[in-house]
Amino acid sequence: MRKADRVTAALLVAFALSFSAGALKYYAYWGEGGPGPAFMPLWLGLVMAVLASMMLARRPRPADDIVDWLPHGEGAKRVLVVIALTVAFVALLKPLGMVVATALYLATVMRYLERHAWWFTALVAAAAAAVNWAVFAYWLHVPFPEGMFWTF
Amino acid sequence: MMAVVGVMVGMLIGALPGVGPPSGVAMLLPLTFGMDPTSGIIMLAALYAGTMYGGTITSVLINTPGESASVVTCLDGYQMALQGRAGPALGIAAFGSFIAGTIGVVLLMLVSPLLARWALAFGPPETFALMLLGLTTVTLLAGEDALKAYISMVMGLMLAMVGYDIIAGEPRYGFGIPEMMDGIDFLPVAIGLFGLGEVFADAEQVGKAPVTKGRYGLRDVLPSAADWARSRWAIARGTVVGFAVGMLPGAGPTVASFLSYTIEKKTSKHPEQFGKGAIEGVAGPESANNAAATAAMVPMLTLGIPGSATTAIMLGGLMMWGLRPGPMLFEKNPQFVWGLIASQYIANVLLLILSTACIPLFVRALRVPYSILMPLIVIFCVTGAYSLKNSVWDVGQMLVFGVVGYFMKKLGYSPAALVLALVLGPQAERALRQSLIISDAGVGIFFLRPISGVLMVLALLAIAVPVVGALRTWLRRRAAPKQE
Repeated sequence: MRKADRVTAALLVAFALSFSAGALKYYAYWGEGGPGPAFMPLWLGLVMAVLASMMLARRPRPADDIVDWLPHGEGAKRVLVVIALTVAFVALLKPLGMVVATALYLATVMRYLERHAWWFTALVAAAAAAVNWAVFAYWLHVPFPEGMFWTF
Repeated sequence: MMAVVGVMVGMLIGALPGVGPPSGVAMLLPLTFGMDPTSGIIMLAALYAGTMYGGTITSVLINTPGESASVVTCLDGYQMALQGRAGPALGIAAFGSFIAGTIGVVLLMLVSPLLARWALAFGPPETFALMLLGLTTVTLLAGEDALKAYISMVMGLMLAMVGYDIIAGEPRYGFGIPEMMDGIDFLPVAIGLFGLGEVFADAEQVGKAPVTKGRYGLRDVLPSAADWARSRWAIARGTVVGFAVGMLPGAGPTVASFLSYTIEKKTSKHPEQFGKGAIEGVAGPESANNAAATAAMVPMLTLGIPGSATTAIMLGGLMMWGLRPGPMLFEKNPQFVWGLIASQYIANVLLLILSTACIPLFVRALRVPYSILMPLIVIFCVTGAYSLKNSVWDVGQMLVFGVVGYFMKKLGYSPAALVLALVLGPQAERALRQSLIISDAGVGIFFLRPISGVLMVLALLAIAVPVVGALRTWLRRRAAPKQE
């Protein structure tokens, strides 16, 4: 935990200084009659740099070392799989359309991660995709991405 | 009948992330044009009350706020749900909203013109001071690590800088990507940090059990006498804070809910329970956001100035019905004004009846095994983020912030502080820069005007007190080895 805090703090200092430097380089600090677009970003970057430096410099607290913040084994595998499947779901929204991608995502998670029966997985996936379409696309007129298979 | 339809539709729309109160009112506004103005405004007022409560349902049940005023409810409401107390959380939110809404309507009726003048005294310096005070509440959202809460807050403000500069109109940090020019909307960020972040964190647990167990009758899920004893003053304080802040143009209900949470934690005998399922942490903010939603009508009716995005849309409705909001509205269209006020009473009563009747149904949703609920929450989050602007870009943003939320949770940062800063950032920046333009870059403007002076002193005290405390602890620690 302590190491993670120090790495995060170092990254935040670098990010904050780039943020401030970018503000000064690309935008005006002072415009006609008052502060310009760079005014607030510059100061925010500096404040962030100070706060992150304080975290970098502070002494470890007793609670910091005993916390094992990253999952291991099966837990870590499950987190990575869920994140990867969600990324794939979002990436497929446009090519497959919302309805098909929704059903596919549900089916994949329920069948391969949670080991539900095929018939039950298919039923829940189809019902959830249908209700989602009915509420948002049909009732609230949200124009869902249609994809190559779906032309509602 | 109009009010019943409004409350039911409002609760449903409010529970869908991405379709918050402003979108809900905007969608139903055209349907009311065929009605007479009084029926139309009754329906819209009921819809508004329903949407405000709808956002609470998802905050408590799945840690996904439906709108910005419900963000703070996630902190203790979701923890209560994890402890099998989603019913009392939703119940106290419903009763608190009813009490605050009803008192708010009485105040709206009695003191509107007088209070409107106070709202008018709020210029850019006062707005900035109020925003700063709202931002200082982060130290109390932090749990044990105030430094990480401040870092989260400043990160939220930095994200709020992305997009067109609100005064000069110049694009900032857009990297040539058209979608970035619009800035980063708080809702995909909030859904990602809270809803998706929670899903990723829960995915670690193999075979996670449903969170509630036991009986689900109406009596079983309502707040107990002990809950009432803990919540009554939180509701009273939330009502007062909500009404006072809600009248001011800007992010009334959001600031009100965060300020109320701060006050409750500060005044509580058990501040350590906040963030772990303290019922006052739900009762106070929920009362405050409902009182603020009612108070937002004060400047709309008396001055023709909308106090929130939703009242801005309702104001448009009033004008389309041929009414002219402002000081003369009470004299020229008394039947309409009193119809609106009566509709607020009716909406609050109906909201209480319908929401409490539905609580057992809402809570039963948590009995669904987590292996099914988890992918359904992801779909809910994805559809909600998409519906905001019908944009897959927003879904991508939500996904990124879902991963960020997972790491923030793991490393002890405060997602609520980040979201609060993202919501208040653009208004705070505009008010700060306008004030400095008015004063010709003199900071005295924030301290020499009475309202902003008081608010600034409170905000600076809120920042200084924990810093002084930390310094004293540090000095004591340094002195301790020498004494030995």
